[in-house]
Amino acid sequence: MNATDLAIDVSHLVTHYGSRKILDDISFQARQGEIMVIMGGSGSGKSTLLRHLLGLHQPTSGSIRLLGKDITQLSADEMYDLRKNMGVAFQGGALFNSMTVGENVELPLREHTRLDENTMRIMSRMKLEVVNLAGFENLMPSELSGGMIKRAALARAIVMDPRLLFFDEPSAGLDPVVSAELDELILILRDAMNMTIVVVTHELESAFKIADRITVLDQGRILMSDTVAAVRASSNERIQSLLNRKPRNEAINPDEYMERLTREIF
Amino acid sequence: MEIQIEDRPPYKLVRLSGDVDLHSSPRAREAILDCLKLKAPLLVDLSAVSYMDSSGVASLVEGYQTAKKQGLEFALVAVAQSAMNVLKLARLDKVFPIHASLDERMAQQR
Amino acid sequence: MTLNPLLSFVSQVGQRSLQSVREVGYHAALLAEAFYWLLFGHWRRQPVRLGAVFKEAVGVGVNAIPIVALASFATGMMLAIQGIYTLRTFGAEGQVVLGIALSVTREFAPLITGIFVAGRSGSAIAARIGTMQISQEIDALRVIGINPVRYLVAPLLAAMLLTLPALTILSDLVALFGGALYCAGELSLPMGIFFERTFEVLVAEDVIHGVLKSFIFAVIVTLIGAGNGFNVSAGAEGVGQATTRAVVLGCIGIILADMVFTFLTSR
Repeated sequence: MNATDLAIDVSHLVTHYGSRKILDDISFQARQGEIMVIMGGSGSGKSTLLRHLLGLHQPTSGSIRLLGKDITQLSADEMYDLRKNMGVAFQGGALFNSMTVGENVELPLREHTRLDENTMRIMSRMKLEVVNLAGFENLMPSELSGGMIKRAALARAIVMDPRLLFFDEPSAGLDPVVSAELDELILILRDAMNMTIVVVTHELESAFKIADRITVLDQGRILMSDTVAAVRASSNERIQSLLNRKPRNEAINPDEYMERLTREIF
Repeated sequence: MEIQIEDRPPYKLVRLSGDVDLHSSPRAREAILDCLKLKAPLLVDLSAVSYMDSSGVASLVEGYQTAKKQGLEFALVAVAQSAMNVLKLARLDKVFPIHASLDERMAQQR
Repeated sequence: MTLNPLLSFVSQVGQRSLQSVREVGYHAALLAEAFYWLLFGHWRRQPVRLGAVFKEAVGVGVNAIPIVALASFATGMMLAIQGIYTLRTFGAEGQVVLGIALSVTREFAPLITGIFVAGRSGSAIAARIGTMQISQEIDALRVIGINPVRYLVAPLLAAMLLTLPALTILSDLVALFGGALYCAGELSLPMGIFFERTFEVLVAEDVIHGVLKSFIFAVIVTLIGAGNGFNVSAGAEGVGQATTRAVVLGCIGIILADMVFTFLTSR
């Protein structure tokens, strides 16, 4: 893997929240045009990892290179320029409630470009077409359903044709049909634009369908970062229990267990 | 991005080459709209386009709509694959008149 | 055993003070950043948009006119009633105009305006920014490359700095009108004479004193509202708490700043 092909190169990332260690020695890579799925249960640190990839927090140590630039070292101006190549669709959409859907989608263009008003309008409507929300540009976000909000957020994320797209929990809270449509859309976007797409999810089915590579997080550490086939074939116990949706099966110590239940009573 | 404008009676031919992106697409837009002001039917050659983003496509959309309103012909010729992918993403490949090559269009003309 | 509660009390006081110092520092940084964007945003390719300032000015200023006017009118009347009642004991009702004119322009108009705007807009700012914080809209702004302070706080600050002084002058006029109206009824003092005397006793400094305060109040309301909004972390309940805090701290801040300012300038 040549360093210049790497769209994302995280190495030895360590982060803390207060004094608590959240992520421990995280390293993984993704090439341009690859769909990387970050998986893990709740509390695995996957949301924290995403926030660091987006440059929303400063890590304790380690580096995060996006499109060849280490975002932990960039100046505010350099980060501002890099952000033109990054699109993000948040879990709840995070559409601006005071603006129409169309204004939401146009906002990155207004902030970053000096394009003609007509061009911006057409571009935002084209993206709404792509996500199947044609004709919805004059509605307010509060008038949309959950699935529509996610699609509008996706339209906003891709309006600048970014090289990197981050998608947080695309299928959370959606019915299976709508979430399958979103998966399809992610694949189409990658094929048409050669985007590198990072999807954070806990949905196995969706992960296996769209991923080129999967990074599995557990309790702040990487269990595995490899191809879909390799993850499926892994013999790691935690990965297998994640795949088979088995609850954590820790051995019970009867004495300790009784002590926990009866503490401060006897 | 380079823009070349040629006369191919009865057409005006706009040749775009290189990267048509957020920076350069306003110039492409202007060239297309200026040609349409001359009331000439317009062909846009995209064979040498190495990259086109949606601002480039938006400029083509605006040009096409302007031409339609004036009853002028507007067509794309020799669309490079990278540009085609972007057109297809918004299903615009089914909207624009697209010709495989300039010669093909000129032959039909005769 | 008696030491323990004392110790924990002391440590609590210490932690609270540390927290307060930290909060003051945070708000000072917020103020500096907001001013930075107002002054240099254009040069950094991220200007504070006039449209946004105008929109906020309508929200915090123009829309506050009815309530501020009503409160000022009532305050002017109240001062007249109270003034005449007090001065009557000395048989000096005629001096009531002086009392009303000075206390309205120097004290009551800026204070009433500030407190009403804190109640109306301080809470609204905290609620708006707090809601945006928990719905990840603030994060969305940041990943788009829009500095939230530049986008949300700077236009508000500019709007407050423009409209609060204007509202204060409006409040001056309406409160004086309220006072004049009561005096006209109670003392049969024609309104024309009331205003003539008012402008005789007032000097420009009195009005400026009030307007200067309103600038300080504008900064306080904006910063406390925005600061509490940004610090919301725990869901809808957090937004509620931030809103309450913004109003309470905003009003207290205004009254304390008023006291300090008056102490420093009126001796």
